Amino acid sequence: MNHTIELEDLTKDYGQGRGVFHLTFSVREGQAVGFLGVNGAGKTTTIRHLMGFLRPETGHARILGMDCFRQAASVQDSIGYLPGEIAFMEQLTGLAFIQFMAQMKQINDLSLARRLMDYLELDTGVKLKKMSKGMKQKVGLVLAFMQDAPILILDEPTSGLDPLMQNKFVELINREKSRGKTILMSSHIFEEVEHTCDRIVMIKDGRLVADESMSKIKTSQSKHYQITFSTEEQAALFQRAYPQSTRTEATVSFLQKGSPQKLLQDLSSYPVEDINARYQTLEEVFLQYYGGKKS
Amino acid sequence: MSAPLLKIEIKLGYKLLLLFMGILTLYASIITAMYDPQLGAGINALAESMPEFFAVFGMQNPGVTLLDFLINYLYGFILILIPLIYGIIMCHRLAARYVDRGSMAYLLNSHYSRGQILGTQIFVLLSGLLILVAYGVVLLLLCSHFLFPGELAVPEFLVLNLGLLSLEIFLASFCFLFASLFNEIKYSIGLGAGISALFFLIQMLSQVSEDARFLKYFTPLTLFSPEQLIQYEAPALLRVILLLALAAIFFTAAWAGFKKRDLPL
Repeated sequence: MNHTIELEDLTKDYGQGRGVFHLTFSVREGQAVGFLGVNGAGKTTTIRHLMGFLRPETGHARILGMDCFRQAASVQDSIGYLPGEIAFMEQLTGLAFIQFMAQMKQINDLSLARRLMDYLELDTGVKLKKMSKGMKQKVGLVLAFMQDAPILILDEPTSGLDPLMQNKFVELINREKSRGKTILMSSHIFEEVEHTCDRIVMIKDGRLVADESMSKIKTSQSKHYQITFSTEEQAALFQRAYPQSTRTEATVSFLQKGSPQKLLQDLSSYPVEDINARYQTLEEVFLQYYGGKKS
Repeated sequence: MSAPLLKIEIKLGYKLLLLFMGILTLYASIITAMYDPQLGAGINALAESMPEFFAVFGMQNPGVTLLDFLINYLYGFILILIPLIYGIIMCHRLAARYVDRGSMAYLLNSHYSRGQILGTQIFVLLSGLLILVAYGVVLLLLCSHFLFPGELAVPEFLVLNLGLLSLEIFLASFCFLFASLFNEIKYSIGLGAGISALFFLIQMLSQVSEDARFLKYFTPLTLFSPEQLIQYEAPALLRVILLLALAAIFFTAAWAGFKKRDLPL
């Protein structure tokens, strides 16, 4: 009961391997958890259970000790929610919809909503159906935050936002976090949650695959390098120094943690055509973290 | 009930209601004006020349009184159809669309429960139908009064419209049931609208010939029997009560089902 959000053996089987299976994790009060997984992994299904839209086949979803389905109306009073798919009452202007939702949430003081609109630079005079994806996302964010609810459940909160707004969003989350909010936000991109969340819960094919503190994940995160040499011989020669790498013709790929200083020194004696470095994908982080092998 | 939701639905819905009132005005006033106390015989002759055509639209007995005339030309088809279409559109707007598009998620992330949300929508739907039918009543009373003073048997006319209102409430409850229980528009609206259309088709067929008369037992539209209603015949009145009882069952089922079901939001 000391957990704010609690999932216990939650199962919803949609057939053909889709759904969520025996999901158990919890979020303590004041914690910010990044809920990660590729598209179709079951993030939204899990969140729908928390919001009381879906009834669990087995197991429980509880928020503040209340059953998310049976006591949905009471639970909803404590949640600011951003749905993954944005769909409003299209005929209204942004402001009219925000005012309407404030009444629905029984918020009398709209000053927080106004501050949020200003902060996100949202023009609320526009009809919702004329709004771009990014504008709609901002309206969704205002709706989720304006209630000043103790719990925030955000499904893909930064989708559609430009980089500037994404940064503003990170600031917003960090501010809410410092005020003691409990936050669960889903994403399929690691970078989205790395600056905001204390903990990562990862699911794959509807099953929990990782539950770790952010600091631990970060220290184990590597970069993925892809280097193309002029000839296959050069590539094969270079590969001897990096036995864990893979090679396709003249291109060598591998993961490496930390500074690229040594790699650059090693490379200086080779004729390099192209070099490509990117952060690991979620799956790669997970696979590396758990020492698994790609199937 | 949710007062904010009620207010916003009125704001979003009054134009559609006005539109349907306009359509009603057009049909009801023109047809009333066509009544000719002396020469009802003219239309009778026309009806006799092509009885099948008239029968299809429920105009079997082009009568002599203004009330008979209205029943034949309005209460057989047009006045049933117009509020039904309004009801189907409202089922789409009030329930099916919110679920299909996902905006129901916002309505539920509020102080109000599923039961309160759906209860409000049922109230909006019923109010719209009541206003539409009541408007029709006032309109026809006024038209009759100014065009043919004293010709309309008012008490019978009012009973007739209570019957019509009950039929419309029943049809709307039927459509609303599907709108509340299904996720995709093709089922949530398609089933309600499709089956309602089928009811009309069956009724039309049943009126064409004596051989097809048995078909009337396969459509609930038969439960509304204007000719018997204005005679205050007990079976006709009981059938109206049956319509209301069925509507109550359908609305309750819609409400209870919506509270319990999985929502794809």
